[in-house]
Amino acid sequence: MEVKQLSTFFPNAANTYCPGCEHGLLLKFIGMALEELGVVDRAVMVGSVGCSTLAYKFINVDYVQAPHGRAPSIMQAIKLLEPESVVFAIQGDGDALSIGLQELINAANRGIPVTVFLYNNMVFGMTGGQMAPTTPNGLKTTTTPGGIRYKYLGPPLDACKILSGFDGVKYLKRVIITPRPIYTKDRLMYSSKEAIESYRAVLNALKTQLNGGFSFVEFLGTCNVNWKMTIEESKKYVHEVTAKMFRPGLCRDEFGVEK
Amino acid sequence: MQGAEAIAFAAAESGLEAYFGYPITPSSEIMENLAAIYEKGKYGNFRVFFQTSSEIESINMLFGAGASGHIAMTATSGPGLSLMAEGISYSFLSQVPFLIIDVNRGGPGLGNVEPEQSDLSFVYWSLGHGGTRVIAMSPFTVSEAMTLVKKGFELAFKYRMPAVMLTDGVIVHMYENISWKTSEPLRPEVSWSARGRGNGPRHEINSIYLEPKDLRAVKGDLLKKLEALKKEAAYECYYCDGPLDALYISYGISARIALDAVRDLRRSGIRAGLFRPITIYPFAGEALANVAKMAKKLVTVEMNEGQMAKIIKAETGLEPEGLGYLGGEVPRLEEVMEAWR
Ligand SMILES: Cc1ncc(C[n+]2csc(CCOP(=O)(O)OP(=O)(O)O)c2C)c(N)n1
Ligand code: SF4
Repeated sequence: MEVKQLSTFFPNAANTYCPGCEHGLLLKFIGMALEELGVVDRAVMVGSVGCSTLAYKFINVDYVQAPHGRAPSIMQAIKLLEPESVVFAIQGDGDALSIGLQELINAANRGIPVTVFLYNNMVFGMTGGQMAPTTPNGLKTTTTPGGIRYKYLGPPLDACKILSGFDGVKYLKRVIITPRPIYTKDRLMYSSKEAIESYRAVLNALKTQLNGGFSFVEFLGTCNVNWKMTIEESKKYVHEVTAKMFRPGLCRDEFGVEK
Repeated sequence: MQGAEAIAFAAAESGLEAYFGYPITPSSEIMENLAAIYEKGKYGNFRVFFQTSSEIESINMLFGAGASGHIAMTATSGPGLSLMAEGISYSFLSQVPFLIIDVNRGGPGLGNVEPEQSDLSFVYWSLGHGGTRVIAMSPFTVSEAMTLVKKGFELAFKYRMPAVMLTDGVIVHMYENISWKTSEPLRPEVSWSARGRGNGPRHEINSIYLEPKDLRAVKGDLLKKLEALKKEAAYECYYCDGPLDALYISYGISARIALDAVRDLRRSGIRAGLFRPITIYPFAGEALANVAKMAKKLVTVEMNEGQMAKIIKAETGLEPEGLGYLGGEVPRLEEVMEAWR
């Protein structure tokens, strides 16, 4: 089989994400979607702070590195001044929902056409696995070693629930990006359904931006390293635990791009 | 024209493309005047006027605007400037230009809204973590505030770094005759900017350098840039062409009172002079040291606890005596005059 080199990425850029992490997969889907839509030349990626920061090493589009949590503000300014640009960020759940929540909801309310891809791994990955606003009870983190969310921290924050309150958001979806483990008699396989759905969601979010709307997709993914699980366990966890708490599905498709 | 209106007018005339701001006394009139100018739509370049949700958002929007190669500014005051420090630091290392107007109020904390010059140390020494430096200028008339707005944009883009105009509620609220020559709006060279690569090469506006050797190299480049910036140091000197009984050193609004004092002293036969830095960073240290050689005594006049005196010591080794006014009080003329002895 011939492997096509995506022009959105530097040739032979080695993936430096941890093995088993879907951060790289998400970045690849974004690159594929930019190519499919023919907008690589107009694309500006705004890097957030978290493991997605590493994207600057691979992605061959214009790039601006934001401070932690502030990518939405930078994206809006670029879009206002460069209306032809296609502006997106990958934010972690800590970046978007902890330090950057104010910037995110203001962006959502204004509806300036930019796209946020949220990679929700329910911990602070880059800083070594501390609690995030999305951490569920039961998941041990370095700052909740007992695995219990301190009672006055409230339940995990639900990004799609928050953003569904804003009319400025024209495309809102939550998908699982982690492939589901499939156990056959003699071996372990992984389903490809999640990849296909995730790619579609990326494409539709960018289409919504091109139609003039703010779009947001949350991807449920893993961080096996900081969850202290094997890759297989972490993938099972997303399907058995994460997805029960954060229900995947389409919340809004104002422009009908899914059709 | 009132200071705030004049500053807003000068910004629009100079080619301002985007204003991002969050209201704070005593800076808000600058924003309100720009809102009015934007509303009228006379300046085609002025495409974005935006009231942000906080100064954190302001600075990051400035960062986005500058990173995509556009002329952008904000006006704020101490509490807002503190919130902006992180974004200014990113902008310094990422080499992103924009202009901040700091209308210095009484601080720290909520302080009061009277004029002080107490943000000077913060702006001069490091306006953000990791050794951040910014271009800093301070006008002493409304007209000069206008020219420094334009110069702020020019220097910010020429050196690709943030610029700050340090001023106060007196300049911003005072009415003064102005002179302004309309010229072509600025069109800085921005081929380095990130706005979609188009047919050209990719541009990366970044402040992450994970390898120590890489960060060391880029910081070395920045230090060279700061060295080159020194030639932009600007100042004015009054009565500096002969021996002096006393040389006053003062900037911004304080320098107006110091200049009155010097003129009054001259009338009574005392050889007083005034050295007035226009740029605070870079600081005209060499020029000051030369004039200081002719003076029996050096006196700083400023509205803080002696922040410029410390800068002068660092820049020139000189140790002037200092008059400092705290809490929102402007220098008292008689006291300034007395200080020559
Ligand atoms: C102002 C500021 N505070 C803290 C940090 C440290 N920090 C870097 S990444 C991060 C959290 C990352 O978690 P998340 O956004 O969930 O992304 P992930 O790495 O899990 O993908 C933190 C706290 C920082 N860089 N800047
Ligand atoms: S630390 Fe976690 S989120 Fe970051 S690359 Fe590794 S597995 Fe992925």
